[in-house]
Amino acid sequence: MLLWLQKYRPRTISEIVGNTNAVNQFADWISKRLKNDVKKAALLYGPPGVGKSLTVQVYAEQFGFDLIELNASDVRAKEQLMRIAGTAASQLTIFGGAKRIVFLDEIDGINPAEDKGCIPAIIDIINKSNCPVVLAANDPWDPKLRPIRDLCVLIRYNKIRSPTIVKFLKEICRKEGIVVEDRALTLIAEKADGDLRSAITDLQVLTEGRRYLRFEDVVWLPTRNRQYGVFDVLKELFWSKTALQARLVMEKSLIDHETLKLWIHENLPLVYSDLSDLVRAYDMLSKADVFFGRMNRTQNWDLLPYALEFMTAGIVLGVKKKPEFVKYQFPQKLLLISSTKNSRKIRDEILLALSEKCKLSRRKALTEIFPYLKVIIEENPSTSRHIGEWLNLNEDHLKYLGLKTSKLKKPNIKIPDLDRY
Amino acid sequence: MISMALEALWTEKYRPRKLDEMINQKEIVERLKQFAKTKAMPHCLFTGPPGTGKTTAALCLANEIFEGELAGNFLELNASDERGINVVREDIKNFARTISIGKVPFKILVLDEADNMTSDAQQALRRTMERYSETCRFILICNYSSKIIEPIQSRTAIFRFQPLNPEDVIKYLKYICSRENVDYSEDGLNAIIEVSEGDMRKAINILQAAAATGFVNEKSVYRVVGKAEPKEVLEMIKLAWNGKFIEARSKLRELLINYGLSGVDVLRQLHREIMKTSSLPITEEDKVKIADIIGEVSYRVVEGADDEIQLSYLLANIALLGSKSQR
Repeated sequence: MLLWLQKYRPRTISEIVGNTNAVNQFADWISKRLKNDVKKAALLYGPPGVGKSLTVQVYAEQFGFDLIELNASDVRAKEQLMRIAGTAASQLTIFGGAKRIVFLDEIDGINPAEDKGCIPAIIDIINKSNCPVVLAANDPWDPKLRPIRDLCVLIRYNKIRSPTIVKFLKEICRKEGIVVEDRALTLIAEKADGDLRSAITDLQVLTEGRRYLRFEDVVWLPTRNRQYGVFDVLKELFWSKTALQARLVMEKSLIDHETLKLWIHENLPLVYSDLSDLVRAYDMLSKADVFFGRMNRTQNWDLLPYALEFMTAGIVLGVKKKPEFVKYQFPQKLLLISSTKNSRKIRDEILLALSEKCKLSRRKALTEIFPYLKVIIEENPSTSRHIGEWLNLNEDHLKYLGLKTSKLKKPNIKIPDLDRY
Repeated sequence: MISMALEALWTEKYRPRKLDEMINQKEIVERLKQFAKTKAMPHCLFTGPPGTGKTTAALCLANEIFEGELAGNFLELNASDERGINVVREDIKNFARTISIGKVPFKILVLDEADNMTSDAQQALRRTMERYSETCRFILICNYSSKIIEPIQSRTAIFRFQPLNPEDVIKYLKYICSRENVDYSEDGLNAIIEVSEGDMRKAINILQAAAATGFVNEKSVYRVVGKAEPKEVLEMIKLAWNGKFIEARSKLRELLINYGLSGVDVLRQLHREIMKTSSLPITEEDKVKIADIIGEVSYRVVEGADDEIQLSYLLANIALLGSKSQR
């Protein structure tokens, strides 16, 4: 059986259904890339089944590129990545006229813990490459992709609109000689939820062995469990009209509650420009967080539904002004926590030393002693040696406490004052 | 036990080693001296504001009862450190259940900042206290005795430490100045008294910080106090009040993550700033409204999981009140 996906696959990029902008943007970027005046890599992102890989493959065929393709979530990906990093990308094509595109698909499937070195290898490929490097991902905002993201032109693929899908399915049916109810196609398209690939597959499965398709034949078609990206989740959440819709957003995503809570927290003030709406929304998020706190302490997970309802329906219903259209932001708290890891460790070591010497908790050492210690060292740096010996501190600790010069060793180097607080 | 290394901080260097050296708290000291003399004592609860000598009294008492034989007989724990009350509980049990070493009649366990224990943890502590009362005496230390559960209060002798009186603090500061060769003026010391409000630790810390500038006078005292008090809290309030919620929230993150304050501590400082601040046109009526929300938020901070979210709710409220008042 010939898969319709293959049979009706576009031959040129202009035949690609939907996402015309993204496809044009991609073609544009490649032609500029060959003249070397843009970023070396492009990251195509968006939900599954909307034509990201297809664009790259069709483009390569149409314009005669060698496609070096690799699925990054493949188990053997690491090895292959390393090999590509070493060779293909940096080699000038020897045979006249042969052009190459390196295509790394599903890079959000990389598991940084298991596939150590994959991300650096990709960065290496991008940096060394003489030919265009194209990456694809469903969720480009995954923190682990951040270093890669910064090197790339981002090209966004959207879900394909239902009427567009219906139109394409109708065309297939016409060519296949299948009689079909419009309602049936609409239902397939709705269930596909913007994913043309799955819609085509569904249509083929449903019409297999028959020449007609009615609405009733489609009703049983199960909905796929969509792994909503966090942006889709937020968008659907903030624009929900009913409590149930808001609540169901959670079900559709694989994002854990804690993470979603941080995303909502980050974006509330962007979405709600009216302060009384913001207060209302924060009241609900804060109440949800109280439930989370109680659950953490008591392990009483029966509370979870209420927490989630506060966090979703509670927030979005009852606002006076419509939410703003904004670009959702990554939770800054997570970035701050990772970027301050070292300085916080140093701070905590000082506090531990203080708490032992001064016989109080670290928390009190921070509020009662620490500020004065800093002033003493700042006002009279010569005391720092004595303080350092007494508390058994090293130079990093003293720097953290505001000592400007490191013990006469490197008198000319100015120490940045970033970690003062 | 006593460290021979020279203390760099004067609060430690000039911490009394004997009950007789303690400033104020005359009645308390008298009774503790009786304990030392008879080598007998009940479980105790020391309560009172910071810097009034609670921990010092406990250390002095243990020192005198044990006549220096502190090793193995004396344990000091802090209830509010995050390593978890379970660890503390284990430490307490392990220490309390074994017999004291040497000629000493019992061991002493000091549990500092006991008011930060949950009531469940206090219940467990109560059982431990009862079970091992033969071998071990407990001294619980706290700022607020109201946060200690009744059964523990009824099982302990309660000592209420008062804020130190200004004359005695000045006398002690002068003593330190003479020992440390610090130049000072009277108005400088008076300024310290004014700011430290009967808290000896704070007074000595300010003295040492001011002395680091070369001379202790009114100007240098206020300068170091200004430097030591985190300005971020006031800045955060100002930003929120002026409707810059996102910037205020960034300041909050600095305080919680970079600086490392707990949500409760941020809240406490915020409350203080709101009540005293004259740099913002917050009406008395609005102050009361904010205090109302602070009260609610301090409950939610304790119950909740994420301090930042709870305090953001407060900042949003301040921003809303600010925008209304400026309309």
